Amino acid sequence: MAVPSLRRFRPTASNPWNRVKAAHLLNRAGFGGTPEEITRFAGMRIDAAVDELLNFESTQEIAFPEIDFTPVHRLFEELVRLRQSRAEQQTVRAVANQLNRANREKFQEIRASWVSRMIQTRRPLLEKMVLFWHGLLVSGFPETRSAEHMAIQLHLFRRMATGSSKQLILAISRDPAMLSYLDNDTNRKGRPNENYARELLELFTMGIGNYTEQDIKEAARAFTGWTFAGNEFVFRGAWHDDGVKTFLGRTGNWDGSDIIDIIFEHEATARFLPRRVFEFFVYQVPEESLVEELAGVFKRSNWNIKAMLRTMFLSEAFYSDKAMRTQVKSPVQLVVGAVRTTGTEIQPLALVRAMDLMGQALLYPPNVGGWPLGKGWINTASLMLRYNFSTLLLNGAMPGVGGGRRAAPARVEHLIDAGKTKTAGDVVDQLVDRFVQSPLDRRRKWGLLRAFGTNREDMPIAATGTNFQSQLRSAVHLVMSMPEYQLT
Amino acid sequence: MTQGMTRREFIKKGLTMVAVGVTAPSFITRTALAMNNPWDVAQVTSRPGVPDDRILVVVQMGGGNDGLNTVIPFTNDAYYRARPNLAIPQKEVIRVTDELGFHPNLAQVKDLYDKGAMAVIQGVGYPNPSRSHFKSMEIWQTADPEGRVVRYGWIGRYFDSKCPVCEQPTVGVNVGQAMPLAMNAETGMGVSLENPETFQWMPALNGLGEKEEQELFKLLNAPAPGVDEPGTIDFLRHTAMNAHVSSERVRAAVNGYRSGVEYANTRFAYSMRLIAQMIAGKLPTKVYYAHMTGFDTHANQRGTHENLLQQLAEGVSSFYRDLEAQGNADRVVVLAFSEFGRRVAENGSNGTDHGTAAPMFVFGKAIKGGLYGDQPSLTDLQDGDLKHGVDFRSVYATVLDKWLGADPAKILGHNFERGAFI
Repeated sequence: MAVPSLRRFRPTASNPWNRVKAAHLLNRAGFGGTPEEITRFAGMRIDAAVDELLNFESTQEIAFPEIDFTPVHRLFEELVRLRQSRAEQQTVRAVANQLNRANREKFQEIRASWVSRMIQTRRPLLEKMVLFWHGLLVSGFPETRSAEHMAIQLHLFRRMATGSSKQLILAISRDPAMLSYLDNDTNRKGRPNENYARELLELFTMGIGNYTEQDIKEAARAFTGWTFAGNEFVFRGAWHDDGVKTFLGRTGNWDGSDIIDIIFEHEATARFLPRRVFEFFVYQVPEESLVEELAGVFKRSNWNIKAMLRTMFLSEAFYSDKAMRTQVKSPVQLVVGAVRTTGTEIQPLALVRAMDLMGQALLYPPNVGGWPLGKGWINTASLMLRYNFSTLLLNGAMPGVGGGRRAAPARVEHLIDAGKTKTAGDVVDQLVDRFVQSPLDRRRKWGLLRAFGTNREDMPIAATGTNFQSQLRSAVHLVMSMPEYQLT
Repeated sequence: MTQGMTRREFIKKGLTMVAVGVTAPSFITRTALAMNNPWDVAQVTSRPGVPDDRILVVVQMGGGNDGLNTVIPFTNDAYYRARPNLAIPQKEVIRVTDELGFHPNLAQVKDLYDKGAMAVIQGVGYPNPSRSHFKSMEIWQTADPEGRVVRYGWIGRYFDSKCPVCEQPTVGVNVGQAMPLAMNAETGMGVSLENPETFQWMPALNGLGEKEEQELFKLLNAPAPGVDEPGTIDFLRHTAMNAHVSSERVRAAVNGYRSGVEYANTRFAYSMRLIAQMIAGKLPTKVYYAHMTGFDTHANQRGTHENLLQQLAEGVSSFYRDLEAQGNADRVVVLAFSEFGRRVAENGSNGTDHGTAAPMFVFGKAIKGGLYGDQPSLTDLQDGDLKHGVDFRSVYATVLDKWLGADPAKILGHNFERGAFI
């Protein structure tokens, strides 16, 4: 097999641009499409399809409501007032507890509203990139104590998602949620705190092995005094070490932005983000030749993310066998994708809870390394939770979510086009098209036929009647309880 | 093993694959057969003198535990000079020797120490230490500091060697959200769960009956006989089958035992209680894995660290008492580790940055308690960090050899020196 490359994919008669490839693009560059969206994308030219996703600025976004933090502000101000007036300990503690509770509720509200946005958005690639950055430039509860800071950080990602990554790295270095998450808010001259400097080099820009422990110590000195007050970045001159530092072989009176400039002069940096972007969108452990090609695009575009994404989504590699239907869905991809492709209505907080159980708790990353990719999502327990998730869609409850009681069964009849349904085989084909989006082997297809009480594809069936509805629910649960559905 | 029993058990447990006309792949057949009598010692070859029913519990203290504030050199001026804000005052230290003592929140494990049921191995590390969480954790979990690409963990490689109940998915049970690399085995054995109640596939109970749904579930998830499928889909099918054959047994074990011992209301204590329940329920398991997180104390360390040590002490102490009440304390050894210790000198955030060597802890009624290894010098440092005296792989080798009866050279690649704590 030829080594996949970033050459433009040119559709041919034997390897056409079709529904399977359009579905692949919608899945990877977003959260999946309905059969109707897939058909529409398959009918476009490939570059028009890619550009529609990529140039999301020209798509009018839904007006999502902003989260109101005034209740938190009010409690905070009251707490300050009580402390200043030396109020009784008990009163202070009561208000402090109220503030904690209000802050925690806001965390939940942000999580729920983000998931709603991922489901409803008309700019799926933008939300996919926000998720990418949240998993790479990691901050989260409990180290970041303020919910509002997390909301501000998500706005930052949304604003800078596909622009200059160098500017984004500078912006995140000044972001209150990040400053508190990695303790740079207390990094001061004399006894520097290495936490941010280390992770900036190891996890955000260069990768391990491209710098020394001494470089970390020197970079930490350069970031002394970078802190925040309220919701704003503050540079505290009195805390800043303005002595001479030697970082990656360069000596000078560096501050944090100089450090970022020097980082972006290095070849390791040019390869780091392209590799992470490729692994997130295409496949893990890419060939070095591919990383090098993508690094070239990244450098030539002055660290622009969109240029890199466009090359990638139009490449042969992106539509190669190694890429197609080989990615394990993240819990967010699984949950948001299922809701988008079935059009069901579920309380966003229940969806958030389901993702938590499956191992992807938004705003609560496991550690500064973010979430795993690929097989890392799968173990015996997480797989059962992922399978059981369809009962949340179908019955309104799943083990661990929703108190265990059944809500009213969700509608399923819209998942099948009654006009095109004459046989059991027609029903199964439509389910496979919606959920698996590529052909299924005969044995598994036969298993799904059994849900309709038959072994035969040509068994006549009427897509009406209550018996059919309940058979259809069982079949949907089974198709979502298949290894094939875990992949995209 | 009696074949008749096997057959009946097979059908009763609903593990047979023949009902829907599919031949069970051999690994499932083996698994299902082996489930019949989990501790049938005649099934496996084992080393004379090492009982097959011994269990290891690994506790991972994620984030880098501050060893110097855990086992404290309370007569050493260098310690107090390096930590003007964070040092534990001499009068608060629980004395163990004239020079060393435990953090005040370790009172409950000090009781175990006094009974000879706790060993402290000091100054544990490895050459050319990495101060990256991820690299160092990978090194501890694969037991490979040389940086080769190792896909399987040190415990996984033990599962891959011939060990008692190694043919069963539950030979390793991780209690937590993500399976640790340490348990990654070539044979794919080992299960992971957080909550036994959600560790099962739920039929939708809409159109079909439960029995029919379960049969179809197996059909849709079983590896196809004789078909070589690409890696990930095969991995998913194997994981689904491992879950399927072990979930009922895990839930039965957990539900069959209610401890009289009180556990603290923390995630770690919950994990340890769950493990105690599975041990009481005779789950065929050789290694359990539990997690603590939050040891990465770069800022405002004091409250966070003392709270974590309290959780560790409570969790281990309740677990030990529970095992004693069950009569299983002789069968279980607990091994606690962290990916690194922390810098000797505190930073300006009332915290400590990433360091190197730190103590490891071993608990168990059958061990030889006490202090092992030397406390690293606080003045002879390497880049501000402690020099290790004991290689962590020699601790693993001791446990593999003397506790589990396995050959450490095969699993770790070298014949590391054995410690005297077992």
